Amino acid sequence: MRVVVALLLATAWLPAQAQKQWVLAKSSLTWHITHPVHTAQGTSHDARGKGVCKNDTCDFLIAVQLNTFKSGDASRDLHMLETVRGAQDPMVVVRTEMPQPELSQATIHANLTIQFAGQTVQYKNVPFERTAQGRDVEIRGTIPATCTDFKITPPEFLMMPIKNEIPVTVDLTWQPAE
Amino acid sequence: MSRIATRTVVVTFACLIAVPVLTFAQESSHSSVIAASTAAGVSSSSSLDEASLDLPDAPLPEQQSGTGQTQKPKSTPQQTAPPNSNNGLTLQGLGFKPSQTQANAKMQARLDKRTHMLQIHQKLGLITLVPMAATVLVSSGAKQKHNRTTGAVTAPNSSGIDLHVALGSLTAVMYGATAYYAIAAPRIAGEKLTGAVKFHRDLAFIHAPGMVLMPILGGMALSQENKGEKVHGIASAHAAVAAITVSAYAASALVVSWPIHWKFWEHR
Repeated sequence: MRVVVALLLATAWLPAQAQKQWVLAKSSLTWHITHPVHTAQGTSHDARGKGVCKNDTCDFLIAVQLNTFKSGDASRDLHMLETVRGAQDPMVVVRTEMPQPELSQATIHANLTIQFAGQTVQYKNVPFERTAQGRDVEIRGTIPATCTDFKITPPEFLMMPIKNEIPVTVDLTWQPAE
Repeated sequence: MSRIATRTVVVTFACLIAVPVLTFAQESSHSSVIAASTAAGVSSSSSLDEASLDLPDAPLPEQQSGTGQTQKPKSTPQQTAPPNSNNGLTLQGLGFKPSQTQANAKMQARLDKRTHMLQIHQKLGLITLVPMAATVLVSSGAKQKHNRTTGAVTAPNSSGIDLHVALGSLTAVMYGATAYYAIAAPRIAGEKLTGAVKFHRDLAFIHAPGMVLMPILGGMALSQENKGEKVHGIASAHAAVAAITVSAYAASALVVSWPIHWKFWEHR
């Protein structure tokens, strides 16, 4: 009888300890630059990501290769790679950890640790809007990145540098892993 | 006088040929600097997943503005060391191959050299617009004057011709240098021109032959003028070729800046 009770308790405890995993199903990351006479954007749809929720804490890792960002101008894309030292540090890696209840909020505030251009910078309380549709959970927001944060020398065009602000808009669709 | 015209053409071409040789010296010295800096960079590079990077302190970042929809403190960037892989989440776990995540110092050096040379190309190209525009402006002083009523032809004065030829030669030399930096910039594997830069390159097929034709036609026209003849034959196309060349050149500069914010003084 004691064995049966112990087994029942164990089976009840196991799901509580089970990990919940998330997989990035769709992504759209866009950098924006502003120049005195010009603006440009570059988008990548090739980010990969996973999330693991365990003990009421969720960890997420999102990564994207810099050479997958396309602005519609091949020369600009190569210049972007050079400026952000994209051959030396070919990835942008974003990590975040948050309490599991935060995931069900309409606005998620994330502390992001971003590895980019050979630097690691933390952005605290970055707000993201969350919308759920069936299995999909869409997260949208803007990372307020700047050239200074990542020690990037602002590139020049017509001998005028771009603005320091290089915000990155994020649109990620997550699905629970099978 | 026809000798002067021939000499002008010869001098122009000699300058065009000499430009790549002269500019090569600057470029090679730069590449050695790049090689040295790259070699220094390799030793300090590390893989992305290494948790214990000893990063220098960043300058104090500014307070960042969030998207303005929260009661919590606004997002603030901080320089930090990369975290340990949390919950076993790694780049390899995401399906990235080591070849995709590893540093490529050789490629970085190539990109650096490419950007450096294209920036010189851009600056020289913009500066070339000045003597080009000046050549066009003084061109009227190098033309024969025809009196339609009497039919008399007045030869241009020599100072007007000399100024036009000198500015034209300067334009040709600078154009040659500008072209050299675009042509000699390293190509990146898989690089396929798209967008505005493709149009920019295509326009070179118009202005480059124009830049070759212009001194030849100008020399021919001057030779005919010196003989007291009305400019005729292919030489009479000098002005038209110049107009097409200058337009194509100006368009190629404009196209890489398109779309332009005309009210660039207004902050977005």
